[in-house]
Amino acid sequence: MSAQQPGVFAQARQTVGVGLHLLRCVLPAPPVVAASRAMPKGAVWQQLWAVGNGSLVFLVLTQAFLGAIFTLQAGFQAQRILGDTSLVGPQSLPLLVRLIGPTLTGLMLATRVGTGIAAEIGSMVVTEQVDALRLCGADPIAYLLKSRLWACLVMVPLLTLVGIAAAFGAGMLTAQLVFDTPPAMYARFEAVGLVDLLEGELKAVLFGLAIPVISGAAGFSAHGGSEGVGEATTRAVVNASLAVIVLDFTVGGLVFLVAR
Amino acid sequence: MIEFVNIHKCFGAQVVLEGVSLTVERGQVLYIIGKSGAGKSVLVKHLVGLIKPDSGIIRFEGQDISGWRERDFYALRRRCALVFQHSTLFDALTLLENVALPLRKHRKLGPGEAGRRALGYLAQVQMEHLAHQRPAAIGDGLRKRVAIARALTLEPEYLIFDEPTTGLDPVSALRVDRLIRRLSDEVGVTSLVVSHDLRSIFGVADRVVMLYEGKVRLDGPPQAFRDSEDPVVAQFVNARPEGPMAL
Repeated sequence: MSAQQPGVFAQARQTVGVGLHLLRCVLPAPPVVAASRAMPKGAVWQQLWAVGNGSLVFLVLTQAFLGAIFTLQAGFQAQRILGDTSLVGPQSLPLLVRLIGPTLTGLMLATRVGTGIAAEIGSMVVTEQVDALRLCGADPIAYLLKSRLWACLVMVPLLTLVGIAAAFGAGMLTAQLVFDTPPAMYARFEAVGLVDLLEGELKAVLFGLAIPVISGAAGFSAHGGSEGVGEATTRAVVNASLAVIVLDFTVGGLVFLVAR
Repeated sequence: MIEFVNIHKCFGAQVVLEGVSLTVERGQVLYIIGKSGAGKSVLVKHLVGLIKPDSGIIRFEGQDISGWRERDFYALRRRCALVFQHSTLFDALTLLENVALPLRKHRKLGPGEAGRRALGYLAQVQMEHLAHQRPAAIGDGLRKRVAIARALTLEPEYLIFDEPTTGLDPVSALRVDRLIRRLSDEVGVTSLVVSHDLRSIFGVADRVVMLYEGKVRLDGPPQAFRDSEDPVVAQFVNARPEGPMAL
């Protein structure tokens, strides 16, 4: 029998609850509570390595191919309509920095990191390890999720920059090989403003906040057996990906209204 | 003393506990028995705040804990430990780190001192030689022994065992039985033991409570359980497949 899935409002309430609890966990607390909210030794470093190094190859490859495809399609259109591909670099670079780089990084990490968080926490919930943590005096949300939150807050913006660089490099190579566009003509960095860079990094920070909170909430809401863990993992990917897109739209819209 | 007063608990449409009342005296070894799904584990988990009752009162040494928040249970969980049915060791930690965790969190000991003490508790269950292994590297029975060591670290006054001998070899099961009895006789630990193991029940229990269809069916010493003429109890004690006990 399929485990009953929580409704949309229940999922939203769980996610907000986990987010608020995590916020409380990073604020000062009385000693008895602070001890329960302490993270395992070395957990942040372990998670930084898992999120950063574990995602690097996957992310660089994805972004590089996307950068190449993007340049190829833009180049074909520019060649067909304008007969000139010199604007492909200056036009695509701001888009990479403020839109494609952070969004694709967010979506990739929502799948790779989000599923890992939801599956691990979900399996701990259904095997009563989370209850055992509570009995050992540990706050499960702080113990399991705080280190992942810090890791994502640091690594998602960094990986976004790496992804942008990979997409840009692959795009530049494609422009050179396919359209004979010299690198100096493609790499027109003056086309990228500070607002573009800040917009991209603000999105990345928000994705770094949303992915562990949403995935963690999905994991903590798992019940039943392996089927429940599977459903929690699916919820984590769907909700985290949706959050990435909604945040992308919201931040992009706000920056457009305020700074452009 | 622990009191459960008229406890009701449902999960969706499934009624698990329907007005269970019982009292546990200090130093007593109380066995809670019943067929699978009778609500034995659900009942004992109420005591440490893992499950909240739908209605009813739970008193721990006179204090009503049924409305407590998570934070309120921190102090109680230092005095009342639970050994889960499945060992629930943390996969990411070694056996030593698993046993040391309550000492780090509840007693706020440093890693060195907590590890030293944890090794002593592992020795009590003959597991010190595997202290640096991960749970995945050992079998179910050995994991259960480590889980018992973890529950003992805080030297609790109350111990809840959820099917402590299930999955253990006969020698280990007998050792666990003796440990439960010794903790009660020598240290005065009060034990609530959820079990199906008739050999353990008749060898260790001071008192037996049988749950059936969400209610207490029998409450008395092991001899009363053995001599009961209640057909449901008799079917259980004689392990007969035929009888009135609904599956």
